[in-house]
Amino acid sequence: MQINDTLIDDTFAEAFPMKATRLVITAHTPVWANHAAQSLTGFATSVIGCGCEAGIERELGCHETPDGRPGVAVLLFAVSTKELAKQVERRVGQCVLTCPTTAVYSGIDPATSRAPLSDNAPLGSSLRFFGDGWQISKMLGGTRYWRVPVMDGEFVAEESAVTVKAVGGGNLLLLARDTDAALRVAESAVQAMRRLPNVIMPFPGGVVRSGSKVGSKYAAAPASTNDAFCPTLVGLSPKSELDAEVGCVLEIVIDGLTDSDVGAAMTAGITAAAGLGRAGGVLRISAGNYGGKLGPYHFHLRQLAAGVEGRRA
Amino acid sequence: MSTTTLRVRNAPGCRVDAARLLPGALAALTVAEIGRIVLPAGNERCAAGDVFDISRTEGDAAALEIEGDVPWLDRLGAHLAEGRIDVRGSSGDHTGFRMTGGELRIDGNSGDFTGCQMSGGRLTVGGHSGDFAAGPLPGDMEGMTGGTLTIRGNTGARLGDRMRRGLVLVGGDAGECAASRLVAGTIGIAGKLAPHFGYGMRRGTLLLAQPPACLPPTFSDGGQGFDVFWSLFVRSLAAEIAPFSTLKGSTLPRRYTGDLAVDGRGELLLVG
Repeated sequence: MQINDTLIDDTFAEAFPMKATRLVITAHTPVWANHAAQSLTGFATSVIGCGCEAGIERELGCHETPDGRPGVAVLLFAVSTKELAKQVERRVGQCVLTCPTTAVYSGIDPATSRAPLSDNAPLGSSLRFFGDGWQISKMLGGTRYWRVPVMDGEFVAEESAVTVKAVGGGNLLLLARDTDAALRVAESAVQAMRRLPNVIMPFPGGVVRSGSKVGSKYAAAPASTNDAFCPTLVGLSPKSELDAEVGCVLEIVIDGLTDSDVGAAMTAGITAAAGLGRAGGVLRISAGNYGGKLGPYHFHLRQLAAGVEGRRA
Repeated sequence: MSTTTLRVRNAPGCRVDAARLLPGALAALTVAEIGRIVLPAGNERCAAGDVFDISRTEGDAAALEIEGDVPWLDRLGAHLAEGRIDVRGSSGDHTGFRMTGGELRIDGNSGDFTGCQMSGGRLTVGGHSGDFAAGPLPGDMEGMTGGTLTIRGNTGARLGDRMRRGLVLVGGDAGECAASRLVAGTIGIAGKLAPHFGYGMRRGTLLLAQPPACLPPTFSDGGQGFDVFWSLFVRSLAAEIAPFSTLKGSTLPRRYTGDLAVDGRGELLLVG
């Protein structure tokens, strides 16, 4: 399949079950809500080394937040509920509790969630101990909040955050003629994906250049460089899937609350990338998988691209 | 499901225990069976059919309607868990005693111990209520522990005594010792307050729409910086009775904390 002369590989992205939650961070101004959200989602690119994958989902207007202040919605993904709870407690404790004027709430409504619900993760119920006995709990409309005295007034946090069974590891590999083209197509694809709800692209700018494979020649390394897609290893690595025309490969990793959210984001990315086409330096669109044996979610590129508009071949 | 209507025929001249008159239970009975329900009446007993004309209409949900004043009918809605009870008149003591859910509406007045130890549901009194609303039984450690109690008129003494959770809103005045020994929860009073309010208040929130004649000496200034909580609080009251529904998140109340003679983490919020 080719769209605008960009080859869509006959392959699939392989994704995995994860546990996820959405937190709503509010503050006196959007600037401070963003400071807290950026800090909370920092160093959260991969569960391999960071404990969780996290990112900003979108900014929220005053009419969308529980306290009527500007806010930011962030999504956090981890391999287990226990690890997710640990990451939520640490990150909110160090990055939101500390940030001037902020408050934090659970952002998933159990009544409307399309993702299956999982256990709740402690939020205010664990952070309240910072109050050293001066904290106050308040039940409002069936929801318990904790009010922890801090130097700018009170830090308000909802008792716990709803978590769900989610999907992590959807991906696209964008094979381009050179670095300029690769960055341009990756930025365009990420921009398109960020317009969609319920997904994050956890790597810097939404893009990763160090795609990895499982295992290594070194026993201590659980993962190593994806030599099949390294342009400097064309003709050297027996696994290379590139030809001499490919000068740069970038990957976009997508985590979503449901598999349909991940699929929709991948479709948006393919649409944006294929829209640039071969004329824009986009030679191929591929995806990473492990033969389909490890992850239960398979996103076949040609199925996702079936409805994408463009010149077909 | 069905709506059972009890129209007062003869006031019995003694107090009658209505705890068995729950909408869910009545919906499963025929009109004749309801008429044979024996209700305790002090040392006596009386059949429901002796004091009420009973009728039945089909509907979507289990409901009980009582037409006429029944100030002699105690424990109405006691242990109510689901369904709706409407009283087109006044009710007796212990209305909504230990109710856990559902909705109980009294158009007129209610007696003493209204909402006593209720833990859920919504109880609304259109008129006045007696003493010890939302409180405990004498000797018990906890009063109301959940749900919403709304009294549009005045209430008697010891409102919310030993209350631990839930929301109580009073549209009129409150008698002596309102929010006494309050453990937690929220009480809002729109009218005037009799002396000794907040006596022994440990935690919780007492929201006053009118400034009291004087503050208790064991309350101190509560400072600033609670605007986020206030915004959440105001939004949670938007569907309740005026003036609480009309409060603005942008206008912070004066805050005092106390009762310092005990735990001292209660708060007194003065609007206006």
